[in-house]
Amino acid sequence: MLPLIGRRLVLLVPTILLVTLGIFSLLELVPGDPATTLAGGASATPERIAEVREELGLSRPFLARYGTWLGDVVRLDFGESLLTGTSVTEEVRHRLPVTLSLVLGSMVVGIALGVPVGVIAGARQHGLVDRVLLAITSVWLSVPNFVLAILLVNYLSIGLGWFDAVGFTRLTSPEGLQVGDWLKSLTLPSVALGIGTAARLARQVRAGVVDTLHEPYVRTAWAKGCRPLTVVGKHVLKNAAIPAVTVAGLLLGGMLGGTVIVETVFAVPGMGDYLVKAVTSKDMPVIQGVAVMFVVAFAVINLAVDLIYGWLNPKVSVS
Amino acid sequence: MSSTATTHSASHWGRAGRRLRRDPVAAVACAYLIIVVVMAVFAPLIAQHDPNFQYLSERLSGPSGTHWLGTDDLGRDTFARLLFGARVSLQTSVLVALLAVAIAVPIGLVAGYRSGLVDLAVMRVTDALLSVPPLVIALAVAGILGPGTRNAVIALTVVVVPGLVRLVRAQALAIREEGYVEASKAIGTRSNVILARRIFPHVLSSLLVQVSVVLGTILVVEASLSFLGLGQQLPHASWGAMLKSGFALIATDARLILVPAIAITLTTLAFNALGDGLRDALVSGGRELHRRVGDVLGTTSVVPGAQRDRQGSVPGERVQGVDDAVLSIRNLRVGFDSGSDVVEVLDGVNLEVHRGEILGLVGESGCGKTVTSQSILRLLPSPPARILAGEICFEGRDLLTLSPKGMRSVRGSEIAMIFQDPMASLNPAFTIGDQLIEAQRVHRKVSRSAARERAIELLDRVGISDPERRLEEYPHTLSGGMRQRALIAMALANDPKLLIADEPTTALDVTVQAQILELIRDLSRERGMSVVFVTHDLGVVQELCDRVAVMYAGQIVEQSTVEQLFDGPLHPYTRALLRSRPRLGARLDRLPSISGVVPSPDAMPEGCRFFARCDHREDACAAASIPTSEVAVGRIVRCVRHSVPVSTAAELNGTSNRAAPVAEAMGQS
Repeated sequence: MLPLIGRRLVLLVPTILLVTLGIFSLLELVPGDPATTLAGGASATPERIAEVREELGLSRPFLARYGTWLGDVVRLDFGESLLTGTSVTEEVRHRLPVTLSLVLGSMVVGIALGVPVGVIAGARQHGLVDRVLLAITSVWLSVPNFVLAILLVNYLSIGLGWFDAVGFTRLTSPEGLQVGDWLKSLTLPSVALGIGTAARLARQVRAGVVDTLHEPYVRTAWAKGCRPLTVVGKHVLKNAAIPAVTVAGLLLGGMLGGTVIVETVFAVPGMGDYLVKAVTSKDMPVIQGVAVMFVVAFAVINLAVDLIYGWLNPKVSVS
Repeated sequence: MSSTATTHSASHWGRAGRRLRRDPVAAVACAYLIIVVVMAVFAPLIAQHDPNFQYLSERLSGPSGTHWLGTDDLGRDTFARLLFGARVSLQTSVLVALLAVAIAVPIGLVAGYRSGLVDLAVMRVTDALLSVPPLVIALAVAGILGPGTRNAVIALTVVVVPGLVRLVRAQALAIREEGYVEASKAIGTRSNVILARRIFPHVLSSLLVQVSVVLGTILVVEASLSFLGLGQQLPHASWGAMLKSGFALIATDARLILVPAIAITLTTLAFNALGDGLRDALVSGGRELHRRVGDVLGTTSVVPGAQRDRQGSVPGERVQGVDDAVLSIRNLRVGFDSGSDVVEVLDGVNLEVHRGEILGLVGESGCGKTVTSQSILRLLPSPPARILAGEICFEGRDLLTLSPKGMRSVRGSEIAMIFQDPMASLNPAFTIGDQLIEAQRVHRKVSRSAARERAIELLDRVGISDPERRLEEYPHTLSGGMRQRALIAMALANDPKLLIADEPTTALDVTVQAQILELIRDLSRERGMSVVFVTHDLGVVQELCDRVAVMYAGQIVEQSTVEQLFDGPLHPYTRALLRSRPRLGARLDRLPSISGVVPSPDAMPEGCRFFARCDHREDACAAASIPTSEVAVGRIVRCVRHSVPVSTAAELNGTSNRAAPVAEAMGQS
């Protein structure tokens, strides 16, 4: 178990180096002076340009600058926002839980919708129900999450008034836990983000169920006289879940990216919202910091998936 | 995927094209995309308004004769903006896709073909890019480079390339070792020619599928960027930008959201559907079995009226024959769906199992013995299997007339079954105890603790030591022999009258095999339990069974007691089988075998199915199908040399015309 975690962490290092180097060098690729670009282009005042140059140490050579920044990142210091002057690390600490709760909520939606649909479709392979469910998942797969987000706001918040259109209630507040409001503010963004996951998960589970149904141990279950519900819901599902967990892990990464735009639509103050604001104002330290956090979060999720996989599959933990 | 050089010839593409045309979903998707492309290309001709002209007096007007889809907050015509927006979306998608393919294909081909350092570097970089969510990459790139179409294209290309590189690399890697590529290398063809002529065509199918899906992805990410204000710059129309301005007015007019939302969703859906269609047509081969009305999960379908399709007997009639028959199979015909037609794998199997006896069912692999044994409990999945005709009478009831529920009440309680592969026949995700307890509680209302007690007894009876501890263990901790014992214990859980054992010892080593055989014989004797023992091993039959039925190519060719069969086999196939048994101590130059192969079920000869391999064949054998003859009481053979003039009805009843024993052949063996 420990060597696995270690190997993952070691693999993470070159990835982060490459990604950060990529983001760093992008700035160099933009024609013109980086300080001017970041300060807002031709309209920026010379004072502001000088300030930006000073803050980011842009007069120093590229690699030296990158080295300094990397050294700070290792100490969890992402610098300050060019726009607000606040600490990126502080902001991330405040926003990361929001994004993670959104990802978690989306995963719940994805599993709650995707697993039953996948199981039923797989059990009815090539039947009418299967084809209808497959068509439904195609639609789920094709509605972009932000389009669905907008439609949900339009019909469920504005139209029916079931939810607040925008904003987010934190789980913890000075007055204590506010679980109800937190869940309510999480519902629509989670559905918007989770539906694509549900579709992919449904297809994976379906394929897993179809494969597992051909396993000899499933034949044994039929030969015992088990009902279809027992065979599929018990004997098949627990085995079909194993590859689905791997896929779910990969999908978590995708959802992490999806938070960017869904948070914007619902005005959820998470990492994605932070990134979008930074991008529109070319707030370089924020863009870099958030990108690093996304990469780390993605890697941590993958590690967690490996651990769950080992726990689900008794054979792996033994060998 | 096939890997011969010829698969990518014109006929491959022709076949794929025909398959694609037969796929209604792909056809609709294709038609839709063509319409969108045409409308985008001819947008200036179709739209009656300039997409950017502001009809200030008609702001936010609904659909009308002049403005088909109404106008937006600035009074611009929504329909015109939709058409011109399609131009942006499609132009960007196609441009990015082309760029990405142009970049990814050479990199992927070289990485996959060359391996080594190049491959390692490519993999590391794509790994890094794939470990950042795509939209984050696109945002970072577009954000730093600044808004605008060109920068959006760069950002999108960066997002799409790594996945395509991976795909091409994997494909190239997979066929690098193929014979025809090796052959090209051997005759000195240059690498770039091999890549372009040999490997690329192979990659093309998967690439096309992927590109179709990627087009949808680009469309969405582009719309996302525009929605965030980083794509196409205002005032140009784009679907994402339309959504953005509509979102600002969400409480006022939902139409402004719906129009671009539907356009984006439908177009993505079409790209995905086209991708699925291409995959089915190009990659997976497009063969699909269709469920038919009446197919139920877990129970073999019986073709309607199948029970009536037998000559000489009437449905519901008590089966004739020996009175102590527990199981009586009559004229069983089983087929497998294959595309549009059905291939018959069992041709009129007749079989009787008497109370307390062990019947051996032998034959080469592929002769139909497993199909026969699984047909009894109707365990063959439909599709593809169907029972076409016949009757399977168990204790006077025809199992083929039972509902799936009725079938379940027989399975595991009156008839139990064990299988060939003990390693895979226990569910790896549940403990032995769980599975033994379940076996009882499916059929009887017993408490978990009582079921547990009995599970311990059963494990003890089948010779598993320390049964209490074994209950808590998962199957993978047990050896193959132990697993088969556990499966036998499970089969005994409800005291079945009949045990069907489908090659239960084939996967086990010889000493364990002997123990399991002994266990089955003892259990049969002590419980009066009948056994159908399927095997290809005549040694096992001789040791274990009372009677034996020999199968060849979906037919029973000989049935008799074990003594009779080994003393004087009648059918040439049985004799050949006996001859080909390796004998201990015999000096052999080569292992004896029966020359030739079993005919394939979809090309069965008209006459005797053993004709091509038979030493005694004569012209009469090939003429028409050979009926069975009962040459002595309970002694049945299907061979012209032992035929006795019988009427078909008598043959099926299997009881009359036992007057002409033919001893001629016996002397020869």
